[in-house]
Amino acid sequence: MAIDWMNNHLWGDDIPWLIGLREKGQRMFEQLGWPNAKTEAWKYSYFPQQILDNLMVCPDSDSCQCHENCHCHDKIKTPFAAYGIKFCNGRLHSEHVNLPEGVIVKPLVEAIYEGEVKKYINKSFDLDKFPFAALNTAFLENGMMLIVERGVKLSQPIFIHYQQHQKVHTFNNIRNIIVLEKGASATITEHYEGERGSSYFNNIVNEIYAHDESQLRHYIVNNESETAYHVALNAADLRANASYEAFVMQGECAFCRHESYIRLLQKGAAATVNGAYQLCNNGISDITTNIFHLASNTDSQQLVKGVADGRSKGVFQGKIHIAPNIKQSEGHQQHRALLLSDNAEIDAKPELEIFAEDVKCSHGNTCGDLDAEQLFYMQSRGISLDDAKRILIKAHVDEAVATISDTKVKNWLLNIITKKTP
Amino acid sequence: MEKILEINNLFAGTYDGTKEIIKGLNLTINSGEIHAIMGPNGAGKSTLAYLLAGKKDYAPTAGQIQFCGENLLTMKPEERANAGIFLSMQYPVAIPGVSTSNFLKHALNAKRKYQGLNELDAADFLKILRNTAKELGVSPEMLKREINVGFSGGEKKRLEVLQMKLLEPKLAVLDETDSGLDIDALRTVAQGVNDLHNQNNALLIITHHLDLLNLIKPDFVHIYADGHIIRSGSKELAIELEQNGYKSFLEA
Ligand SMILES: Nc1ncnc2c1ncn2[C@@H]1O[C@H](COP(=O)(O)OP(=O)(O)OP(=O)(O)O)[C@@H](O)[C@H]1O
Ligand SMILES: [Mg+2]
Repeated sequence: MAIDWMNNHLWGDDIPWLIGLREKGQRMFEQLGWPNAKTEAWKYSYFPQQILDNLMVCPDSDSCQCHENCHCHDKIKTPFAAYGIKFCNGRLHSEHVNLPEGVIVKPLVEAIYEGEVKKYINKSFDLDKFPFAALNTAFLENGMMLIVERGVKLSQPIFIHYQQHQKVHTFNNIRNIIVLEKGASATITEHYEGERGSSYFNNIVNEIYAHDESQLRHYIVNNESETAYHVALNAADLRANASYEAFVMQGECAFCRHESYIRLLQKGAAATVNGAYQLCNNGISDITTNIFHLASNTDSQQLVKGVADGRSKGVFQGKIHIAPNIKQSEGHQQHRALLLSDNAEIDAKPELEIFAEDVKCSHGNTCGDLDAEQLFYMQSRGISLDDAKRILIKAHVDEAVATISDTKVKNWLLNIITKKTP
Repeated sequence: MEKILEINNLFAGTYDGTKEIIKGLNLTINSGEIHAIMGPNGAGKSTLAYLLAGKKDYAPTAGQIQFCGENLLTMKPEERANAGIFLSMQYPVAIPGVSTSNFLKHALNAKRKYQGLNELDAADFLKILRNTAKELGVSPEMLKREINVGFSGGEKKRLEVLQMKLLEPKLAVLDETDSGLDIDALRTVAQGVNDLHNQNNALLIITHHLDLLNLIKPDFVHIYADGHIIRSGSKELAIELEQNGYKSFLEA
């Protein structure tokens, strides 16, 4: 293993439970091993362990050779009216946090010191299923705790900007604990933005705790550098009548995997996990979902639309699990992809594990080229073949984006797609 | 008078060469003229229309097609459209996810770009679209819907004519544009086509019905069977056909 465990001076070595947890993470990571073609959950997409070589954990955002144009200390800019939180080179910049009453954000280390976060850390997923979450646990330090207090309903989205500007190859190990207390309602948009040519490995774990009657709209946009590696686990526990609406949009990056692990724990919990990926060069994009219906009257919806061109690869793995004796629940899943080049690849693995009877489930998966009749129809109206293709690709991706219920975020993303496919 | 279309001894079939459909076709259309083609099902009328528009499912094996003095067969479909060929399709294509007005804007701006004009912005485009749509009885709701998705047969045909009016072609080929239209819609559509027609352009109308030809009066009627024209004449030919059917023509 290329990780020099001893030489990483992490903060908090005077807190025994934290040390114990990190050691547990390290042991689990070593036990699970680096994912490869033989690892069932990773068989379609994995990346070389060598990226860990020369990987550097930045002690702070400046010392990672943030160069002349470093924007780490700039004020946060949001693409629409929003509250803001900024990370730069993997570090939370507390001076750039702008939040309303009823929302608390603190650096993870502070929350660890205060002890309140202990009841949440590593409670939303099983460590032995996720090698990178184990690695994330071994390096537990960066990230934040975000709490939307009881009954607070935010009028505008929280925009979290993760910026990358550095020359060295860095390891951004981030753990966010997001808690929506009873009846809270919020929109959180995570925008990962890597400067072109910068190289880094993001290892993100978000643990989301949505209490009774709370609503979270969670949108993740990976606008990474083409030489970036990004692995994220998004684990969410939903209690009674909580609703969670997620959308993940992935652009080109060397390797980008977003995995959802969602437990519908109590009656009335509902999750929507939609997404889109649009690749044209060499990128690998992986959207993996695991949705567990563990109570009656729970619903889940998934719609993922993809485009793979060039030598890229798109992966969708979607699991719906319905536990025994669950009643009146629905789980639906759709993945539709456009495969636009002979050298591109799409892999899809839908998995339904239904152990109950009074439930409705469906899944569908299609993968194909653009429709020749539609292309000709447009050409016969004077639209060039290239433009016709762009229009069809945009329509394909837009269908998924149109499901986003926050209008500001939806319009922002529709615009991003227009820029990519003008 | 300008020669708009000249087809010489054309033979054509499916792209893979497995089926010959057009067999020795000759047809000349000049500016200001309206030509009608009538022929039994499967005669190859739509194939001719597609071949003019450049659909790659069909390919010529012999003969030439000149459009305004240029070799049409080497042009891409979009080049043909921008040069002035418009095909109102027998079966217009639905495109989920693309609104009708957005589609029309792309089409009109493609033509303007080809002509060296600036592209229209959303407001200017909508003004033009609304007026033309109103003339053809196309509702604003329909323009917002995804193009041809769930449209009735008649709605699709109206929309084809709306596109034709927006694009102002030199040669409009109407492939059974009258089928599926109710009596009022037939009049509106015919009115729209007549408004467009002038001394500088031409129409090629493919139809099975005399009704349309009473509203859009053809200068020439061609009876088309087995891939070529077997008789040409005036509108009287269509009346004769209506009375006697194809039998007498085919036997002759
Ligand atoms: N792509 C194709 N592959 C094989 N055969 C084809 C293809 N396209 C057309 N044909 C055949 O060519 C013949 C002519 O078809 P076409 O659609 O041109 O007829 P049409 O004259 O327009 O008939 P209608 O009056 O019914 O519209 C038919 O027999 C049809 O089945
Ligand atoms: Mg036909």
